[in-house]
Formats: sequence, C-alpha cells, structure tokens
Amino acid sequence: MMSLSHNPSLAKEMKDVDALVQEFGSLGYVTDPALATSIYLSMRLRKPLLVEGHAGLGKTEVAKVLAASLDTRLIRLQCYEGLDISSAVYEWNYQKQLLAIKLQEKSDQTVEEKEKHIFSKEFLLERPLLLSIMEEHAAPVLLIDEIDRADEAFEAFLLELLSDFQITVPELGTIKAKHVPHVILTSNRSRELSDALKRRCLYHWIDYPSFEKEMKIVRARLPEVEEKLAMQVVHLVQAVRRLELAKPPGIAETLDCAQAATALGTDQLDVETVEQTLGCLVKSMEDGATLKAAGIQNMLSQSN
Amino acid sequence: MRDNPDRLAASIVAFCRFARSHGLPVGMHQTLAALEAANIIGISDRQRFSFALRSVLCSSQDEWEQFDQLFDAFWNSERNWSDSQRDRPSHNQVANKHSADSRLLISAESSDARSRDNEGKLVSGASSQQRLKRVDFSGASHTDLAALEHLSLRLLRQMSLRLFRRMKIEAQGDRVDLRRSIRRNISRGGDPFTLAFKGRRKQTKRLVIFLDISGSMNLYSLFLVRFAYALQKHFRRVDTFLFSTSVVEVSDLLRARKLSDALNALSQRAAEWSGGTKIGESLREFNRQRGRKILTRNTFFMILSDGWDTGAPEILAAELCHTRSRVQKLLWLNPLLGLKEYQPITRGMSAALPHVDVFAPAHNLESLLALERYL
Repeated sequence: MMSLSHNPSLAKEMKDVDALVQEFGSLGYVTDPALATSIYLSMRLRKPLLVEGHAGLGKTEVAKVLAASLDTRLIRLQCYEGLDISSAVYEWNYQKQLLAIKLQEKSDQTVEEKEKHIFSKEFLLERPLLLSIMEEHAAPVLLIDEIDRADEAFEAFLLELLSDFQITVPELGTIKAKHVPHVILTSNRSRELSDALKRRCLYHWIDYPSFEKEMKIVRARLPEVEEKLAMQVVHLVQAVRRLELAKPPGIAETLDCAQAATALGTDQLDVETVEQTLGCLVKSMEDGATLKAAGIQNMLSQSN
Repeated sequence: MRDNPDRLAASIVAFCRFARSHGLPVGMHQTLAALEAANIIGISDRQRFSFALRSVLCSSQDEWEQFDQLFDAFWNSERNWSDSQRDRPSHNQVANKHSADSRLLISAESSDARSRDNEGKLVSGASSQQRLKRVDFSGASHTDLAALEHLSLRLLRQMSLRLFRRMKIEAQGDRVDLRRSIRRNISRGGDPFTLAFKGRRKQTKRLVIFLDISGSMNLYSLFLVRFAYALQKHFRRVDTFLFSTSVVEVSDLLRARKLSDALNALSQRAAEWSGGTKIGESLREFNRQRGRKILTRNTFFMILSDGWDTGAPEILAAELCHTRSRVQKLLWLNPLLGLKEYQPITRGMSAALPHVDVFAPAHNLESLLALERYL
C-alpha cells in the first residue's frame, strides 16, 4: 500500500485546500471548504471518496470537475441493477475471436500459438474498471456512479479492486495499476451500502446549499441571468424545499427555473411565471398540488 | 499544541475513541487515517480540522449530522457535557425517552437487544420455540413478548433468505453465453454445436403492504409492522402503507437500518393508531394517489387487516377489483382467521373475498412463515 500512496508522476498536483477551491471555481463549480477538504484528503490519503446526498446537488459533477482540474481522463461507470463483470471490468471479443480461429484454420501455427493469439490484448474489450487501472500517463478519475443501484455481489468485487488496484484476467495474468486512480463513488441512498465498503472510503454528505452558496452557483453557471431574478428564484426554491415534497428541488432545478424564467423574458418572478415554469421545480402532480396549496404568492412575498 | 506532536496525536486518538463511544464506526483504520488527515490539513484552522476529521470518521448522513456536536463537545472539553453523554449506553434507550407512544413500540425491541446477551436463557430450546411459533399475538403474555420478538426477527430473516435463494435457482437462461459456448465446443473445433445460455437473473418481485392500524387490530399491528420490516430487506422493493381512516406511507421510515429507529419514527408519523376503519376509502385514496406508479404486473399486494370496515362495502369491492387488475397477486391476511369459530362474514370481508387471490391467517408466527408459499 505504501508504495502506491506516493505517486510522483501526477500530472498536476493541488497545493492545498484553497488551491482546490480556486481551481474548481475557475471551472464554474462552486465548492465550500468542507467539500474541498474531503476531496483534497481523498487525493492525499489515496482513499476513495463516497459522496452521498439528494438528487440534483452536483454529486456526479464533483468527479467531472476533479478530472478537468487535474487535467486527466474521467472514466465513468454507471451502476445499474444486474451490472456484471463483463460490462464493468472486461470481456473478450468473442465474435472477433471466432473469426480469427476461422482465418487461422489453414495456417500451420501450433494450437498454443493460436490460443495465445486469440487471448491477446487485441481481443480484449476493456470496460471502465479495467480501463481505470490501465492508464499509462497519469492517474485518471474513476467515477462509480450510483453504486447503490448495483447489487451486493458487485459491491464485494469492487471492494477487492479498491484495496489492491489490480485485476486478474485468467488468460492474460494480473494487471496492476501504474497510477492509482482517484475514485469517487456516488450514492442516492436507495439502499444501505456494506460497512466494509464504507470503511474503505472517506465520506461526504452534500446537503442543500445555503442561500449564499446557491446564489453563487447560479451566478457562476448562468451569468446571463439578472441578479434580481436570480435572487428571487433562489429564495423561492429555498422556500419550496421547506415544504416536505416527495422530491424537493435540487440545484439543477434552480438552474432550470432561472433559465426558464429568463427564456420567458421576465425580469421579475410573479405567480404567473412560476406557474408556467412549475415543471422545472416539481416533478410530480402531487408535489405540484402541495406547492399550489402552500400559496405561490405567499412564498414569493416572503422572499421580498 | 503544535509544539507537542505526541500530545496532539494522543488527543486525536482520544477523540476517535470518544466518537466510537458515541456510535460512530471508528476502527483502527479510521484512527490512522484521522492522524494522517490532521497531518495533511493541519490544525491551525479549527473548522478545516473538523471538516477533515468528519470526512474520515463518518460514513452516513446521520453520523455526518451528529459530528459537529461531538467535535465541539470534545475539543471544547466541556467535561460536563461529555461526561453526561458518555453515560448514555445506547441509542435505544435514548429513543425510549421520546414519548410514551414510541415506548410502546420500542419496548419489545430493546428487550430484544437485552435478550441477545442472555440468549440461552430466553430461547431455551426447540420445544419453547415451537410453542412460541403458535402463540397468538393477541394472547402473548408479557414474558413471552421479548422471546417472541427475538424469534420472529430470526425466523423472518430466514424466510426471506430462503425466498432469495429460490429466486436465484429458478433463473433460467435466455441469452447465449458466448464464452461458455466456445469452451463447450472446443472439441468440435470451435464450431458452435451446443450452446450455453446465460440466465438473466429473474426480476425480483415488488411488494406493497397495506397494513390496518385501526383499534380492532391493536393486538396485532405492532407485530405486523415488524413483519413488514423483515420483508422489506429482501424484496427488490417494498412499499408500506398504514391505514385506518386514511393512508400514510411509511416505506421510507421502514428502510431505516435499525428496527428501533424505524419504529420510533413510525410512531411519530402515523397519527391515527387505534382509530376507526375505512378500508374501502383508504384503498381508494391509495389507488388514486400512488396506485398508478406503484402497482405493476410483478407486484404482490398484501393487505393485513381483520376486515372490520365501517365504510361502504361497495366501495371496498370496487377498489379491490381495481387494484387486483393491476397487480400479479392480491393477498389478504386476516389475524382473525386463526380463531376456530371465525367466519369471514363481516360485511367488508364478504364483499372483499371474491377479489382476493389468497386469503390466509396472520395471527401467529407460524402463519406468517407459511406465507413463503405464496410469495
């Protein structure tokens, strides 16, 4: 483990937490010191970072921006129910192998030579996890998205990978990572992750942003939106979050709403505009009803 | 502190132990990581220092939210606070203090925790287990309750494990597995002669539980909630609703990892424990609001109720018919069915029966375990 933890050929190194905040900021991702500390530690301690939080708060974005700021490759594995080794780690290109066997039929190679040929890297289809440890030049960022959707068996496999960073392909031998990837896992908490996996990771919980932070995000991402309108939208969204909806709006929804309002050509949020853009904020009929019952006018006037 | 790195390290280790005693899952690994993190981040900025330790030592939202308080308590070294807190032995007991309501729900669980310590005494042997399995929930004496609780959690866990395995074995292939096919046909020069199939793991079923918590079910509903909790763990998805005169969804609460947490939260959400019963109206409310999303062709819909309905039986019949048309199977479990003299002739029940696929008793553990057959 120790030999892995020092990685001299890192393409770009972050000096400290502040440098990271700044670097992320320049890429349009507003981060607070808490999240920056977690990310920075995960890089320095060489531990995967497990990011949890409600939908639409920029969990996936963390990995994307990290990759951009380190100037390395982002390798993404989207987890889903029934995800298996052959779509997550590697698979042999069977069709190509069959063709190769046919083509070699007339040649006078020995069986061993033929076998060696069809089980060479040429026929290997690398899937994200294998790719992430085969990177030649710099440590990539490996994003394992929505790990809670994969089943327990896959989680156990992942555990092994995350401790050794090596993968064994029986026909080829063991492949060991030249550069240990920066691993970011995200979860929506649809099921409880195993304790072993959690123990291996640093943890960060992303909560709904404060008013100030959300304002910063809107200003950074949508510079074309007028400040006054942005302020109204953020106030409204913050009020809506207090309503106990089934799906409270995330930052993505705030941005949508601000963009929609601008597209409608208003510079002032009123009941009519909100109703027109309701679909940006709430994503189900019941939530819409709750929102209307709470009084849109009411919430808007609170914000002023 | 900076002058004395040993003392700082000692304090951090002490803090880790402190956090551990308050329920954070801090082991050797985390402690080492905490030391390293402190080294990297430094301690000059107190807030950064707390962020660093938080991200190393926590591993869930609850812990995350609890952390700041722990951090302040320890590093401000307000001994009074920390000492008084250190005395508290477990979450269960804290939860116990919440309200009389939750005490009712939780008492059995905390005694379950106790029973783990002296397991031998409480579950003394097969014969007493057999007896307990047949004890009607309504007639369970207080001494039995703890043992029954313990046994039920264990048996229900077994049952769901068996269910899970059975589903795996049933999986039959429908796609060609090229890798195995090639292997199998090596002797024929690689021409695919016999094919190997790859099984898609069978789609696990979804379960919707519709649990009656009205007054007449009082003696049973506490146990049936636990039944719902146990099932929760081994279906791909379980949605649980409580009803008396209206419906409350509690799926999210039951997903809590500890039963005691779940029960505690439950007692605070469901306002109408022991109220009247309007099954038909409740079911209609459910069908209108959530039915379209939740009921699918691979859903089992399980109603746990005694069928004493003060609403109109026509509504119940119509709504049951509607529900059944959308799901794979509609089960009605009735605790009263365990009574020898019971006949399902209450107005509600007789209106409902034509629309029910499985009508089974649910008055003791044995009857709940027997359900395995239908699921």
